[in-house]
Amino acid sequence: MIAKWFDERLDLKKFKEKFLNKAFPAHPTFLFGEIALFSFITLVITGIFLGLFYEPSTGQVSLFGAMVPAAYASVVKIDLLPMGVIIRRIHHWSAMIMIAAIIAHLARVYFTSAYRKPREINWLIGLSLLAVTLGAAFTGYLLPYSQFSVTATSIAYYIAKSVPWAGDWISRLLFNGEFPAHGTVPRFFFLHVMLIPIGLITLIGAHLLVLVKQKHTEPKANSKRKAAQGGRRLIGIPVWPEQSYISVSLFFFLLFVVVLMATYIPLNPIERYGPPSPVTPVMRPDWYFLPIYGFLKLIPGDLSFTLLGSKITPEAIGGVFFPGILALILVAIPFLDRASSPQNYIENPLHRPFMTSSGIAGAMLLFMTTVSGYIDVLHIAPASMAIYVVVVTAAAWVVSYLLLRLYSRAAKKGEHVKS
Amino acid sequence: MVETDSEGRDKKVTRRQFARGFVLAALAAATGSLLSFLKLLAPSKKGGGYVATVAAGDRLVYAGGNRQGSLLKASEFKAGDAVLVYPEGKSGNEANLVQLIRLEESEFKAPTRKELTDQGFVAYSAICTHLGCIVGWIKDKKDPEASYIECPCHNSIFNPEQGARVMGGPAPIPLAQIGVKVSADGTLVFTSGFSGPIGPQV
Repeated sequence: MIAKWFDERLDLKKFKEKFLNKAFPAHPTFLFGEIALFSFITLVITGIFLGLFYEPSTGQVSLFGAMVPAAYASVVKIDLLPMGVIIRRIHHWSAMIMIAAIIAHLARVYFTSAYRKPREINWLIGLSLLAVTLGAAFTGYLLPYSQFSVTATSIAYYIAKSVPWAGDWISRLLFNGEFPAHGTVPRFFFLHVMLIPIGLITLIGAHLLVLVKQKHTEPKANSKRKAAQGGRRLIGIPVWPEQSYISVSLFFFLLFVVVLMATYIPLNPIERYGPPSPVTPVMRPDWYFLPIYGFLKLIPGDLSFTLLGSKITPEAIGGVFFPGILALILVAIPFLDRASSPQNYIENPLHRPFMTSSGIAGAMLLFMTTVSGYIDVLHIAPASMAIYVVVVTAAAWVVSYLLLRLYSRAAKKGEHVKS
Repeated sequence: MVETDSEGRDKKVTRRQFARGFVLAALAAATGSLLSFLKLLAPSKKGGGYVATVAAGDRLVYAGGNRQGSLLKASEFKAGDAVLVYPEGKSGNEANLVQLIRLEESEFKAPTRKELTDQGFVAYSAICTHLGCIVGWIKDKKDPEASYIECPCHNSIFNPEQGARVMGGPAPIPLAQIGVKVSADGTLVFTSGFSGPIGPQV
């Protein structure tokens, strides 16, 4: 009845035919993107709750008889609200899951070469999504204004300042002055709750629009069935009702897992870090910043040189060039590994020795630089750790490449015998 | 006479060309006027950075803990002890934060400036020269001589017996030394400013 009323006015049948019948290739590795999207939705909802109580100011206020920054006091008060601490933890956990899901999604696209023509645009939008999400996570670090927040942000401020040529200006632009400046918290707050979410929503929308237009890649096994049907259409399940049931179940199951973790695993206990004080505790960033954190520990202090009139410091090498070069490589991938005609099928990673072993080596590099973040606990000298990083990364590449070459040759021979 | 191109067409500007040029000019003007905002967004006002205001004659007080703000007594420190201190009345400025250490007087080697030490007390800026974290004192209880200054953030290690020379890690330069002496009433007093640059060297 109501559906009919709307249908008569909005021609919903046409909409249903066009969009709700869109085919999804049912494959479990195709759900990482959805997990990222659902985490984002959870982040927005919990973020709205937190935003209603948070006070973006470093002005001193009284809290239980002590003078602390207003931002810190407001987060302590959020923790004291009924369910407050749980909602703050759900927010933090969802951020970590969102980043993990984006990285898993990126790895899936990389290893199946789904970034090739015609999907280069969505590869780049996806990378922007990762970058902006990391920006959201980073600006969120500062907001509770605990000792942890201030130390982490201060380190980032000096990394930004170490950017060659433009560092001074870039750092003042991002941090609204020289950190710790009074303007930093309001600026990060606005970035975190307004500009970055708008950017994410825009990018997610673009990502999905391109996806709907281009359709998913699909397993190669579909090609024979499709040829038999003589059609160009993708084989899969429709958005409504099959895929929607899967997605809705996934969302609620994810929410269940996140609430469970938030309830039992404490995160960012600001009461324990306390307000900013003149003692830096031993602390590490969340896992997604560990490779940069670890890499910074490996650069010897005397490794600096002058390039085109600007001093290249160890901080710039570890905090700017290392992530910058990794990002450039990711951006360049679809333009280096090109396809001449549009590719719509999943490539088997086992049949692409060079790209797959490069991906494994890249993952190993990130893992080893993460381990480098723990050299103080492992009692490894930075110089030896740097050697381990290089050796293990190179070994991962060589071993996986040789194994994959052997495998793909054997597979080809097998095919030959069969035919 | 009207100018014409090789195919005899009128060389005057067409309506479309004019419209395109007009839009581009408007865009350029608007963008240009907005550029001034970039300067506004990146204030140059000195709200941070490390500018120490500690001076000779300032007395040393505890920087944290239960006795925050109270005067240090030399007699309470043995060789191997260390504490974070501020110059009295100047604790609002983190640049003034100092790592005070007591060692055996005989252990000081170059490039420590011995004239800035007194009765084994030596003091260095507590701001790591890498990325600005506050350094800590890693005390080896069995072998006090094996104790060292370490930054908790990226594990830069400084040798307090050798002018806070960088022994390992990413810090580019030593921590700046600052003069201290034990005064007649047993409290400690700064006798100089910092001997070199403090804070991150970026």
